[in-house]
Amino acid sequence: MAYTSREALFAFRRSPLLTSLSIATIAFALYTLSVFGLVWRNIDRVLADVEERVEVIAYLVDGTDPTETSALMREVAAYPEVDSIAYLSKEDALARARAELSDYSALYEDLESNPLPASVEIALKSGYRDAADVDDVATRIARFAFVEDIKYGEDWVQKLDFLQNLSLFLGLVVGGVFAVIAFVAIGATINIVLISREDEIAIMKMVGATRSFIARPLVIEGFIKGVLGAVIALVLLTFTYSLLEQRVVSLSFYSPLQVAGGILLGGALGAVASIVTLRRHLATW
Amino acid sequence: MILFKNVHKEYPRTGYALQDVSFHLRKGEFTFVTGPSGAGKTTLVKLVTMEERPTAGTVRISGYASDKIKTREIPALRRRLGIVFQDFRLLKNRTARENVAFALEVTGASAEQINPKVLRTLAAVGLSDKADHLPSELSGGEQQRVAIARALVNDPFILLADEPTGNLDPKVALDILRVFKDINLRGMAVLLVTHDRTLLGEHPRARIIELDQGRIVRDTANGEAAG
Repeated sequence: MAYTSREALFAFRRSPLLTSLSIATIAFALYTLSVFGLVWRNIDRVLADVEERVEVIAYLVDGTDPTETSALMREVAAYPEVDSIAYLSKEDALARARAELSDYSALYEDLESNPLPASVEIALKSGYRDAADVDDVATRIARFAFVEDIKYGEDWVQKLDFLQNLSLFLGLVVGGVFAVIAFVAIGATINIVLISREDEIAIMKMVGATRSFIARPLVIEGFIKGVLGAVIALVLLTFTYSLLEQRVVSLSFYSPLQVAGGILLGGALGAVASIVTLRRHLATW
Repeated sequence: MILFKNVHKEYPRTGYALQDVSFHLRKGEFTFVTGPSGAGKTTLVKLVTMEERPTAGTVRISGYASDKIKTREIPALRRRLGIVFQDFRLLKNRTARENVAFALEVTGASAEQINPKVLRTLAAVGLSDKADHLPSELSGGEQQRVAIARALVNDPFILLADEPTGNLDPKVALDILRVFKDINLRGMAVLLVTHDRTLLGEHPRARIIELDQGRIVRDTANGEAAG
């Protein structure tokens, strides 16, 4: 154990520049991944929230016969996609507008007639909230002659959807590129260590050192670099997060378990990069 | 112990290094392998350490056969061989004691096991008073003694030396030969590869295997006259 830990620290002294580069690239790889991950996570939260509220609103022509309205409601309530359905009369609509838009209440004070239409609000079941299903339900309801207009929040659901996929894609691409650079940098550091210690490794092989004995300190070193990189990424991420949180919008951060997982991921990245390089070098005995 | 059976070794670019080499080294035997440079002496050493495998024929070292041994078994084989080179191959930044201890460290031995064993082995090669010297503070002969101590510390069944006196002046070379003879007297087999014929005369009872152009041209164990 003394040997292993002593050797693991050797490379840090031997090639500080390459070691720093390895740590920095791992840090950038994980930072990029985690920033886009955070965006993804928060869009996901908003989307879940929005989806809860995905509803189709059918505005009715003024003077529609109440029996026709209840016929529509019975029929639509029977659709498999529909969770609940509610009728909002002209008066209720006006009352709600007054409550929700109290700043503009003056606008509604002295109306001679109520300009707001009666409507039917249809909430969909959770499995039927994507754009295609919502569209389908809306089309069917639009066939009723006394339905004047139909509204549903399809547009911005799709936009958020797109943003979420984009952040995932960017995170994977940019993070992936940095991960590859980190891989190469760690491999190069280990190459330098192996070349600078060629004599020593030859002696180790001669006196009967096993492959794992020679490799272990270098793999541990790679792991330490990965963990250090991940910790730096975490510091950067926390900083970025608090900046956004203060200035822009309230966000949710990763759970402690996810943070721990990210740090382990960094360590694993470093260790695997070391193992790949070592396999090439320690193939012959 | 060590058995070469119709061993051929061919290198892709340089051609045959050894051709039809057969011999059997027995327990406790002192054997010189000699011959001009390019005769195949170093190839023979590499076949014993399994750094190289024969192109044809088999090499058997203490239960390991060249055609069956797996790479992961080679460390175990090497721990049973004590290997000494012409250029000593000591770690420059470590003391004599640490260089010898290194061979035990790689086997995973504990510090309590290592220390007494290292001091005992250094004493056996006459270097007790230089245990804490770096290689740069030691003479060539002393450095080679450290290397011999390192080779011995794992209790090998044979001491394998490739031109161990090649970098030493003749008087020191004889000192080192005496160390090998002492070790052999305690029952350990020695295989000493050298092109220096004066060494052979210093140990007339030793077996001599002479190589030339990759073939054994003389083996005193086969009843051929020495000289």
